[in-house]
Amino acid sequence: MAKADFLTGIVLVLLSIFILFESWRMPRFEHLKVHPLSVPGIVPAFLGIIIFIFAVILVVRSIRTGGHHVGVSRESLRHILSRPGNQRLLLTAIISIGYAGFLVGRIPYWLATGLFVFAFVAVFEWPRGVTRREYVRLGLAAGILAVVTSALVTWAFQSLFLVTLP
Amino acid sequence: MAALLQNLNQFLTAIAGFLTPLALFHVFWSTLLGIIIGALPGLTATMGVALVTTLTYKLPPDLAILILICVYNGAIYGGSRSAILLNIPGTPANAATTLDGFPLARAGLAGKAMGIATSGSVLGSLIGMFFLATVAPILGNYALKFQSFEFFWLAIFGIVISGHLTALEDPMKGWIAGFLGLLTAMVGQEGIHAYDRFAYGKTELLGGFALIPAMVGAFGFAEVLTVMRNPAAEVVQEARDSIIPRLGEVFRYWRTIIRSGLIGTIIGIIPGVGEDIAAWVSYAAARRKSKEREKFGKGSVDGLMAAETGNNACVPGAIIPALTLAIPGSAPAAVLLAAMFIHGVRPGPMIMIESPEFVYQVVAMVFFSTVGMLIFGFTLTKPLLWVLAVPRTRLMPVVFVLCAIGSYAITQRTFDIWVMIGFGIFGFVLREMKYPMAPLVLGIILGDILDKNLRRGLVLSDGDLTPFFTRPISLVLWLITMSSILLSIEPARHALQRGVHACLPRRFHKGG
Repeated sequence: MAKADFLTGIVLVLLSIFILFESWRMPRFEHLKVHPLSVPGIVPAFLGIIIFIFAVILVVRSIRTGGHHVGVSRESLRHILSRPGNQRLLLTAIISIGYAGFLVGRIPYWLATGLFVFAFVAVFEWPRGVTRREYVRLGLAAGILAVVTSALVTWAFQSLFLVTLP
Repeated sequence: MAALLQNLNQFLTAIAGFLTPLALFHVFWSTLLGIIIGALPGLTATMGVALVTTLTYKLPPDLAILILICVYNGAIYGGSRSAILLNIPGTPANAATTLDGFPLARAGLAGKAMGIATSGSVLGSLIGMFFLATVAPILGNYALKFQSFEFFWLAIFGIVISGHLTALEDPMKGWIAGFLGLLTAMVGQEGIHAYDRFAYGKTELLGGFALIPAMVGAFGFAEVLTVMRNPAAEVVQEARDSIIPRLGEVFRYWRTIIRSGLIGTIIGIIPGVGEDIAAWVSYAAARRKSKEREKFGKGSVDGLMAAETGNNACVPGAIIPALTLAIPGSAPAAVLLAAMFIHGVRPGPMIMIESPEFVYQVVAMVFFSTVGMLIFGFTLTKPLLWVLAVPRTRLMPVVFVLCAIGSYAITQRTFDIWVMIGFGIFGFVLREMKYPMAPLVLGIILGDILDKNLRRGLVLSDGDLTPFFTRPISLVLWLITMSSILLSIEPARHALQRGVHACLPRRFHKGG
């Protein structure tokens, strides 16, 4: 956790400096004679200073516990990726972002949703080294869930809630 | 006495208003849906309320809020089922329930555990409801005295206390999460000079990040990622004993019920803390006072009763500040607050002047959801066991489909789907690094209040900071805020202890 805290601290220091810089750049509306303490940059700057203080404490605290020795090797990355939990996490993220970020809006909504649900079930339940019958059973289950989900969600949002689907 | 009778009269009028077939139908399905959402590990109350909000756009405000409160209350209760039967809390609010609920189930007393959880949840909800009906009008009238100085400190107080209580091991992470939430709220057009902050010419960013997609991401997508990463739950205990407890058995724990109900309600009122902390604090208090202390963690009915009473009492408690100050007491209450604004209800200090009847309608909504919980809790044992057996690989894609379409449906912009994805990944990473989500969400809500009131206050006082520190309510708020910060910084705490020690007369010193 010390390494993660060190990296988070560094990111937050950079973020707070960026916020302070941007707050300084915001207009002060002198030509409109507005009160100088009501200008838009005041509150972001205030928040930037507080986050900067917390970030510095986080960095100092993590350095004290050795968090600044951030060693990232190919071996450690391979070790992280070899864990089944992390593999499932990565697959979930890829399939989900692929569906919501790229498929939705590019192909008909019902088709995108059906494909996503089918792919999700098939990828995570794909049995290894079993009979053809079991493959068929899995395909059928994934197919039925995909069709039912896609049809119900499309109908509910389009006809019931009058949403123009993407 | 007259005021109490008037309150009762308004409450009964509100109850009568909801005694229509349509309203009762909505209570029926939404409480059941809430219980199912809560029971399924990976679906939290916050996510449930956020997703169902997207289904209520076309409904009249009273029915929409009724549905959301039923889902909210039902989900907090429903989480006890998986906590007892699977040893996995259905929502974070039921984490304390696993400690004694699961050992009871393993000992063949799953039915008794579920019955006690139902009784505790119902009684906790009723205690919280009583305080909602009595405290909300008082707080609403008191809030009329608040000016910019007080609202500024209320925002900071909310972030600091919520950050502290939701990250007890490392409060600084809670504060960082809260201030990041406040910073997130700075994106978009500000409310005084209409300047577009951090928008960089992107029209989608002019309105800032919408709360519902952000919350669906932080609580929905992040949860989908977490559930898929963790190993699958396999053990499902069955209830062979009776689920309906004897009245005497329940009321034997009347002290625990009242204490946990009070603790839950008070924690609910504190901004952004929520049901999980309410359950833990109630559990800890029950353990300290219990005669069967040695049974805690091994199947104590007292402990189970405390956790379940505390978390459900927190639900009406969290609605109190949401209604009267427009500051939510918990993460699901934050979504409820956003939903109220979407439906044209304006919670805040003016509510007791503009629409006092709405406060009593909300009390009636909590009542109906509690009745729903009681009925479903004692009748739907088997169907809820089947629901728990649904594998995560089939549930999570459906949940994510709802996350995506729910985020999109509000303004029908694909940009909001990206907001959901962004907050989901951000929320997942923060959670993995032990940053709590509740202060982040509270920050997004409080950002606008902080922004307007700090600047208004500075203009009103012409740059003089004295009113921020000397007005009575401000003084109390900043003293609590600063104490909370100082007491969690070790060198400051030691210095304070040394100072107190030095100031005390010799006879108070240890051994002196």
